[in-house]
Amino acid sequence: MAPLLRLENVTKRFGGLVAVDRVSLEIDPGEFIGIVGPNGSGKTTLFNVINGVYFPEEGTIVFDGRDITRLQPYKRAPLGIGRTFQIPRPFASATVRENIAVGAMFGTLSGRVGVDESLEIADQTIERVGLQEHKDKAAGSLTPVEKKLMEIARALAMKPKLLLMDEAMAGMHPNDIDQMVAFIKEIAQEEKIAVVSMVEHIMRAVVGMAERVIVLHQGAKIVDAPTKEALENPKVVEIYLGHPPEGQGC
Amino acid sequence: MSSKIARYYPLIPVYAAYLILFLIGRNVTGMWQLMAMLVFYCAIGQAFNIFLGMTGYVDFGYVAFMGIGTYGMALSISHLYQIEGLGMWVILIGAVLAILMSGALSVAVGAVALRLRGAYFAIATIGVNEGFRFLIEGAKIWGGSEGIIFSGQFTHIFGRKTASLISTTWADIFVILVACLGAFVTLRFMLGKIGYALMALREDEDAAKVMGINVTKYKIIAFITSASLVGLVAAFAWGLKLTYLFPDEIFDISYTVECIIIVLLGGAGTLLGPVAGALIYGLSKYWLTIILPGFQLLIFAPIIIVIVVAFPEGVVGVLKRRVRGTVLEKFIV
Repeated sequence: MAPLLRLENVTKRFGGLVAVDRVSLEIDPGEFIGIVGPNGSGKTTLFNVINGVYFPEEGTIVFDGRDITRLQPYKRAPLGIGRTFQIPRPFASATVRENIAVGAMFGTLSGRVGVDESLEIADQTIERVGLQEHKDKAAGSLTPVEKKLMEIARALAMKPKLLLMDEAMAGMHPNDIDQMVAFIKEIAQEEKIAVVSMVEHIMRAVVGMAERVIVLHQGAKIVDAPTKEALENPKVVEIYLGHPPEGQGC
Repeated sequence: MSSKIARYYPLIPVYAAYLILFLIGRNVTGMWQLMAMLVFYCAIGQAFNIFLGMTGYVDFGYVAFMGIGTYGMALSISHLYQIEGLGMWVILIGAVLAILMSGALSVAVGAVALRLRGAYFAIATIGVNEGFRFLIEGAKIWGGSEGIIFSGQFTHIFGRKTASLISTTWADIFVILVACLGAFVTLRFMLGKIGYALMALREDEDAAKVMGINVTKYKIIAFITSASLVGLVAAFAWGLKLTYLFPDEIFDISYTVECIIIVLLGGAGTLLGPVAGALIYGLSKYWLTIILPGFQLLIFAPIIIVIVVAFPEGVVGVLKRRVRGTVLEKFIV
């Protein structure tokens, strides 16, 4: 089976800082991947390179059999790349329904989804994620958790093949995280969406969701393995907990 | 079917306002000039709202499009007056020329300046307006700094009586019609995909991009539409009405500032906003000039500050929230 997304030696620099350092990875259709790494390890930059906010200096990105390395972000989204943000970025003055309709209207490949049809898709998606009672509220007035849910709905309305979730669970109560993980998993399985969830430290979300974990450290991929194996890897433990001082037991 | 028509209900209060202004002007002695001024403010507010209100970009060089629109009308009349039998067509050609010239300028400006954001865009556009004016004056294009005085040619085409009727009455009626067109275009944009795209890019341009919106395309569409509409307004309100033009008058940045005030006062991005803003602005400017000539600006500034602080979303923006859930909801957008 051909991978849905393939990165080959992708490098992104900001001046002298190498934010993403020769990262290669493959993601299969419908896979659940966790990307883990401490603050500043290049996770968000990697996302931005995948969906076109930045172009990489080196390397190639192939999505669904097509080289998208230099493709504008607005052309990538309709191919099937949905995204949620670390800090939710709703279109604040518009209603939840309108926000989600935007996803359906511009984020699908045919480009022929009209306003009415988009609003219908929005209504269905709203029901799906359970935001019915908020649908006519201004998106800016939602609580942070509701905003995250709305962003997921907005991305789902784009009918993505790949969903990039940037710290989707940050700031959530553990019970909510479990619920959210179960919910995303259910939808993604149904719609055959590959989910890449990026996490800084909420391992609960990774363990519950990801089949495979990719660990980034200082921009480079250091581990790419099934979840349990990856999280027990000594290199990963060292990044997160530091090196035990010589001669002192813990 | 009825719901399709109901979408156009918001035009009712706008067109009602224009009709009332027109009727007062026609029927109350001495009021035509005041009403004409108010409608002019409505029309430029409506046009500017399509860009400033819907995209959130502030164009400080907006008056350049009014200026070049005026040139469109002036060039048509001053060059074509000798052709026999053209009559009213001269005005139509002038109007088309105004649209094309202001549209072309907006493409040129937009292609460069719309790559910039926020304050940088605003600064770049001031430069464009001033630069364009100095280009015309310095390179002596279209009469240079002496402008174009075409009242003679205008009278030659239409005869003294008709010419004066066109200048004093028809020019203003054309402005009303353009204002109506502006409101219609605004609502069409709001109801269509373009309205959603503009809303998204106004709220968060980067998020809009990764959601598949070609933000540059939609910004330029809004910019060209807004520019050619205001060029048309000026072709009638300045060109046809005054039958002369001087570059330092038509490229006066204070008109840009007035446009911004009108849009923000009324409610940026709303349909009724520019009308409300134009009426509040126009009437207070008019009365203050009469009551306290010379002091109007001194008093006007704090009034505007108070209104902007009290209604940050503009008068109609606040009204819109108030009427949510009532029957009026359908009419005020």
